[in-house]
Amino acid sequence: MAFLDMGGYWPYVWPAYAVTFTVIALNIIWARRLLKRSRKEALRRLTIGGTDK
Amino acid sequence: MAWTWFHRLASPPHVYRVAGRLTPWLAWPAALLIVAGLIGGLWLAPPDYQQGDGYRIIYVHAPSAWMSLFVYTTMAVAAGIGLIWRMKVAHAVAAASAPVGASFTFAALVTGSLWGKPMWGTYWQWDPRLTSELILLFLYLGYMGLRSAFDDVQRADRASAVLAVVGVVNVPIIHYSVVWWNSLHQPPSLMYLGKPTMPPSMYVPLLLMLLGFTLFYGAVLFVRLRGEVLSRERTASWIREAVRP
Repeated sequence: MAFLDMGGYWPYVWPAYAVTFTVIALNIIWARRLLKRSRKEALRRLTIGGTDK
Repeated sequence: MAWTWFHRLASPPHVYRVAGRLTPWLAWPAALLIVAGLIGGLWLAPPDYQQGDGYRIIYVHAPSAWMSLFVYTTMAVAAGIGLIWRMKVAHAVAAASAPVGASFTFAALVTGSLWGKPMWGTYWQWDPRLTSELILLFLYLGYMGLRSAFDDVQRADRASAVLAVVGVVNVPIIHYSVVWWNSLHQPPSLMYLGKPTMPPSMYVPLLLMLLGFTLFYGAVLFVRLRGEVLSRERTASWIREAVRP
């Protein structure tokens, strides 16, 4: 409990960690989503018309 | 011969392949370093003699603030290379970096506010460090907004690159704001006047977090860069090989 209380600073310490790790998680999700979407789009283009270069 | 590696960086298929290979080599060390930094910062480091356990916010605030500056500098250098050498991959690096930098700038501002309330008695003060960091967030948002205002990728690349390069002047202003002006914000956390400001039990976890966050940026950048390259190289024949399921 003393650890969670952070010497009375828990209302500041834990939200700071929560925000930072949410940002880290969102960056992972966004990056994977961007790559997946780009791959899907590239595959779709290939199935429709092939490549021209 | 010495510049071959640089010239190969201009090749989208080469960058796509190399980024894919390097991503796990950055992501796993980043995860290990961040976990080690967290254990060191939250459990092993002693409380500060003035700030008690409240100072432990530094282990997420300082790496986020570092990321906000490092990512912007990388973005501006890449944008500059893209402008000067017309290198599409460099513009892709800049575009892939912006959301990462913006999100960590947001984290730096929020965690800074959460530190400021118990230490300064206020969440926000129009102080040089805080204000210049907020301007950095607006620069990131402006860069992304400007890109999305153009349908043509090449025009978006050029216009946003100019903004990125001009905005880089804010980076040294943020860094030296605590030295140049009277500021509520404390001086640099790791080194000040050539000496460490903390004992090793406190600064080693911080170094681990700084390195971990930097490698994390590398890993996320490479994943985003592959997506950017794929969406830019719409008709190139190598894509068939690259995206084959």
